Parts: sequence; C-alpha cells; structure tokens
Amino acid sequence: MNETGTTIRLVDLIGGSDAWGHEQGREIHGKLLKIVEARPAVLVFRVSLDGLQRTDASFPRESVVELARRYRGRRGICLVDVEDPDLLDNWDAAAQRLLQPLFVWQLDGKHRLIGPPPAKGNVEMLEHVMSVPTTTASKASKSLHLKVNNASMKLRQLNDAGYILRREESASSGGVEYSYFRIG
Amino acid sequence: MESHATVALPASWVDARDFDSALTLANDPLVTLPEKVTVAVPAGCKVMVDAALKILCFAHQLRDRGASVAIKFEDGHDGAMGYLNRIGFFDMLDSAVEILPDRPVVSGAVVYRGMNDNLVEIAALRSVARDKDLPARLSDALKNSVASGKAAAKLGRAAFTVFAELIQNVYLHSGSALDGYATLQVYKGGKKAKVVVSDNGVGIIETLRPTLPAKYGKMSDSAVVFEAFQKGLSRHGPGRGCGLKASADHAIKYQAELDVRLPKCRVHLVPSASGYQPHVAFCSDSLPLLHGTHICFDFMFDK
Repeated sequence: MNETGTTIRLVDLIGGSDAWGHEQGREIHGKLLKIVEARPAVLVFRVSLDGLQRTDASFPRESVVELARRYRGRRGICLVDVEDPDLLDNWDAAAQRLLQPLFVWQLDGKHRLIGPPPAKGNVEMLEHVMSVPTTTASKASKSLHLKVNNASMKLRQLNDAGYILRREESASSGGVEYSYFRIG
Repeated sequence: MESHATVALPASWVDARDFDSALTLANDPLVTLPEKVTVAVPAGCKVMVDAALKILCFAHQLRDRGASVAIKFEDGHDGAMGYLNRIGFFDMLDSAVEILPDRPVVSGAVVYRGMNDNLVEIAALRSVARDKDLPARLSDALKNSVASGKAAAKLGRAAFTVFAELIQNVYLHSGSALDGYATLQVYKGGKKAKVVVSDNGVGIIETLRPTLPAKYGKMSDSAVVFEAFQKGLSRHGPGRGCGLKASADHAIKYQAELDVRLPKCRVHLVPSASGYQPHVAFCSDSLPLLHGTHICFDFMFDK
C-alpha cells in the first residue's frame, strides 16, 4: 500500500448497503469528486467496499470507474475491503465498458485487476511495478534487462492507460526523473 | 352510434401472449381506436402478472388517446378481480376506467402488502419519484421464495442487477408521462417466477435506432432487440449500454427465459450454451399495437 493514499468508505456516501442506477451513480460520483478535489496532495484513493451488499453495473460505472477514468495517469483509484468476490462481476463489467483498469486489494496484500488487461508487451513491466515500492526507467531496465528507452516507454504507456502512477523526482544527475509506483 | 371493441380473454390461464391474441381478435384497438373498449374477463380466467401489466398499460394508453375503457369481470369480485386487487392492479388503474360489476372498495395490496413471500405487489415507476428499494424488494422476494443459504445470496445479487438495470431503463428510455410498472409472482410452489417490467414509452427500438450505425438500418426490430441484450447497444455511445446486456448476463446464469414486447414486435429469448438465442416460434414482427417496452423474465427452479 502506498503512504500517499487515503481511504473512502463507499457505504458512508451511499447511506445504505445497496446501490444502483445511473442517477445514484452520478450522485456518488459528485461526492467522490469533492473529496478528491479537496485533497490535491493525495495521489491514491482507496475506495472501501466494506458493507456494500449489492450493486448493478450502472452504479459502479457512473461513480467509481468514471472517477478513475477522469483522473487516469494523474491520480489513482483502487478498491479495498471487498467481502464477496461475486460483487465484483458488475464492477468488472463497468470497468471493461469504460476501458478503465482498477486494482482490487485483498486483506492479505494480494491484488487482482478488473477491467481491461494491459497490452501483452507491458505485462512483465506491470508485474515489476506491482512488486516494488517504486521504480524508475533506469532501475526497471536493469531488473528486466531492457534498454532504458524501452523501459521508459513501457512505464509511460502503463501510466497513461491508468495501470500505475508516477511523480517527478530529482535525479542524481541533477535533472528530473519519473518515479513510478502501483495504485494501492 | 358509438364504436365499440371487446377484448375477450379466454377462460383459462392468460399470459402476455394470450393477451396479444385477444388484441388481434379485437381488431387491434390501439390502431383502430374505437370510442369504447371493453376488456371481458370470463369466469375461470386466471390473469398472470405479465398479462396484468399489459392490460394496465393498454387501458392507460387508450385513455390517453381519448377512448373510454371498461373491464368487465364475469365472476364479480371473486376470481380474477380478487387476484388483481391483491396484486395492486386497481390501485394503479386510472379511476376513469369503468370496472364491472364495480371497483373493489378495499385494496388487497394495501391491506396485505409484504405479507406474501411469493408476491411483490405492482409498483409504479416514475422518474420523478424513484422507488429506491424496489430492486431490493424484487430480488429479496425471488431469493426467499426459491432458494436458501449461499445459493440464495448469489441469486439475490444476480436478480438485483437484473431488476435494477430494467427499472433504470424505464427511467432513462420510456419518455412517457404515463407511469411504468414492475411486479413479481412466484408460481407452482416455487418452481417458476415471473418478473415483469412494463412502460408506456416509445419502445427501446425507437430510442436506439436513430443513434445506431448504418448496418442496423437493414435489421428488423426483433434483430436489434436481440443485439441489445446480447452485445449491449446504447444511444449514449460505446461507454454506456451495458444495462440490458448486464441483465441478460445475470439472468442466463439461472436459465431464465426472456420475453421482450415492443410496440409491434416480440422477441422471446431462451438460454443456450452460447448465450441467449431467439425462440423463433414465439418471435414476431407483426403484432397488434401496444406502446412501450414490456420485459418479462421467467425464472425456473428445481424444488
């Protein structure tokens, strides 16, 4: 889990254990948007599904998945506290529909991806980013035996598609270097 | 002399298809628009919920077009009228519709609401007053009456999606000032459940067609409906439109049959190994006119 994150319990925003429909999805999207905009320094928002019993596919699409799409590449949204994996069928359908990947974190620290899978050529790089606290193009190129340019391109593609995040850091050479990290 | 048509129901179980047959025999009243239309309900007629909602919509559509409407129960307050009163039919029916011999004074749905696990009384669907608990009520009724334990929870969740998406579809697509309706009835000791969602709008085809790519122009209405449930189509572009498909994806896990009635056509979909397939014998592109979108899921259970 990343220390730059904050957790939002979705049922507190919904006011109940069931949620459905475009209208309620838009309403919750508005509430989530306010929370995200009020915390400009926070990069990762963990949406907790604790206590959520039932949703259709429209609600997650209009609320959380749309939020993740809106901030893709700049800020990250992931799901935590999913008690029942069956609940995720509709969330997966929503994420597929909006072509927005979302990571779901389990209590044991393991994760699964819902929504579209990454391009085949970027799978290994994504696994690498998920397995380390942070990485850079030069570090990743060494770990995966790639040229730095190639590693840099893969990381940028994963960031742009919403699988990972990055922030600018000062390089030891004096320039600026991107540090990439998982959404969790 | 006042023009008059009679829609005569048979003295047996009546489902949506039987009601369509009666409309045809009555010379398609919503097209011919006689000044008065009587729906005749003989002794021994048992109206199923899918037919009940269509009668309700039919009566309101006629009233909306200026016709006077009567429903005549040969059995009086016993039989079909008693059942329709119990499911809330008369609570929803326009008070200008004449009931013969007379309208029930007390609503069975109001008195006994929620006391029968096998029934969810007719609920009105109004976009200005969303019934937020309706998908939960419908799915809980289905879950409690047909399954138990873990399987029940699974069914409850699948059914929640089916009902939520269908009800939402009425809010988004109906475009009618008239209410839509939803209801559920479990039959045959829990072996079969009918869930019906009906509205009086222009029909999903009318809202979809103008926004679809050119290739759909050559397809029949029933073929477009099939695509909407099988692949997901939306007038709001590729990011939307998972509603009907999501409904179908969940319902097929429980081998539910799906019947979609649009203003002039019907698509009956049956589950197969590769998803829903049209049941050709029950599909038609030339039915008597009934405005709106009427969707019925038939869930079958082993008990």
